Amino acid sequence: MYAIECKNLTHYYGKKMVYENLSFNVEEGKILGLLGKNGTGKSTTINILNGFLQPCAGECLIYGENTQLLTPETKRRIGFLIEGHVQYTFMNIHQIEKFYSGFYEGWNSAPYWELMSKLKVTPKQKISSMSCGQRSQVALGLILAQNPDLLILDDFSMGLDPGYRRLFIDYMREYAKAEHKTVFVTSHIIQDMERLIDDVMIMDYNKILAQQPIGQFMNTFRQFNISLADHNAAVDLDGIAVNIERVKDKIEFYTYSTEEDVKGYLKMKGIGYNSFEEVKMSLEDAFIGLTRKY
Amino acid sequence: MFKSIIYKEWIKIRLIVLISLGLSLLALINIFLKVRHDILFVDAANYWYSFLFRGSTYFGILKYLPFAIGLAVAIAQYIPETVNKRIKLTFHLPVSENGILIRMHAFGAAVLVTLFLVVMGLFTAGSAIFFPSNIINPSLVTMTPWFLGGMATYFLVALILLEPVWIYRGLYAVVAAGFVTLFYTSASIGAFRPVLPALILITVLLSFVVLFSGYRFRKGEM
Repeated sequence: MYAIECKNLTHYYGKKMVYENLSFNVEEGKILGLLGKNGTGKSTTINILNGFLQPCAGECLIYGENTQLLTPETKRRIGFLIEGHVQYTFMNIHQIEKFYSGFYEGWNSAPYWELMSKLKVTPKQKISSMSCGQRSQVALGLILAQNPDLLILDDFSMGLDPGYRRLFIDYMREYAKAEHKTVFVTSHIIQDMERLIDDVMIMDYNKILAQQPIGQFMNTFRQFNISLADHNAAVDLDGIAVNIERVKDKIEFYTYSTEEDVKGYLKMKGIGYNSFEEVKMSLEDAFIGLTRKY
Repeated sequence: MFKSIIYKEWIKIRLIVLISLGLSLLALINIFLKVRHDILFVDAANYWYSFLFRGSTYFGILKYLPFAIGLAVAIAQYIPETVNKRIKLTFHLPVSENGILIRMHAFGAAVLVTLFLVVMGLFTAGSAIFFPSNIINPSLVTMTPWFLGGMATYFLVALILLEPVWIYRGLYAVVAAGFVTLFYTSASIGAFRPVLPALILITVLLSFVVLFSGYRFRKGEM
């Protein structure tokens, strides 16, 4: 059963294509991380999911409903964290809790107040005078109190220091797993995602480069550092390499193939090397390896 | 749910509403102190004559007050929604997007109507101390377009502020200026009586235009 189904999404801003015929699904109970460089369509996708943008073609469904026509009942099942932890900053933490509680029948204020008790804020302090980290906790607490089935978190790490990022991730992971929640998350800080997500979806300009369980991706996508015997030897992308980053005779060879396959490929091409080693990658390394440095 | 909407909207506009009420009271006090002064020092008969036959007014200070109040309330209510596109939070609430916008707008309009009725009521009560009804009635007819203009200003400024595209905001502002000017055209006292129904109709129709900006925002115009 899918919480989110996007089918054949196509979108343009003027003549600039963002993507064409993009399709993906998010299974219920999974935490999916959407990664991509700036301008690859992450925010466009989030806006389409939340009904704030009508795609040129295709559609997204959340719990079977078109996101352009979500009913209040379905919206009640979706928690939405806007990029930068945007909230009604003219309120204080009591006012904002009182405001939101009127919209959700299953409102549970306990997790909200648990998080608020950790913040060193005065009861009447307006959210506008809080730090970005404190505001992130207010936004997170409100989502937890709403108790939605699906959480859409747009660049949750923006502006947070490492401590608040870790707090946010640990809370979110524990909550999502314990309560069987579905989470669709984007973040610029990819190292955070490794601790949080089950599945990864990596977008490049106009297409999806990878969508699979994070463990599977990290086990199958590999980096080999190779020192070529001949500085002028041509190593190109026509074979098993997904990406090659080259500085003189040193190449970083990114591939889904095994060490044996890569060595066999080099031999077949007649490319000699002085050294050959597999490098253990973080998710950030793998992301850059897949999408290229520039 | 509606209670929650009222709660948030009131937090945004309460300061402006209280300041507006205070300024209105000051304006009324100013009017009636001046009337009392003129009656004492001019001569009541001549003073009344100037209003009945020369088209003079004693309440000109009120003319642009509704416009300023409508403008201030719209800014206080809708600027916080546009900063960081917070209107997304509002549209994400489990209410239809038009439904929540209508409720927010209805609350703002109701507060303005209440405020304006209080001001007009106090004006009528104060005038009744000094003048007969054949001075008061044309005076109320004369100032009604000003208060309708305050409502129209509120509705049109909301349309402008929620519009996502700056160039459209500019175009709306030009059109809005044209509409609002209609309500503040100078005319002899009581002259607006025949067109009051038309002005009321225009004001009521303008109350819905904010839905257009809401629709454009939801479709992703930028």
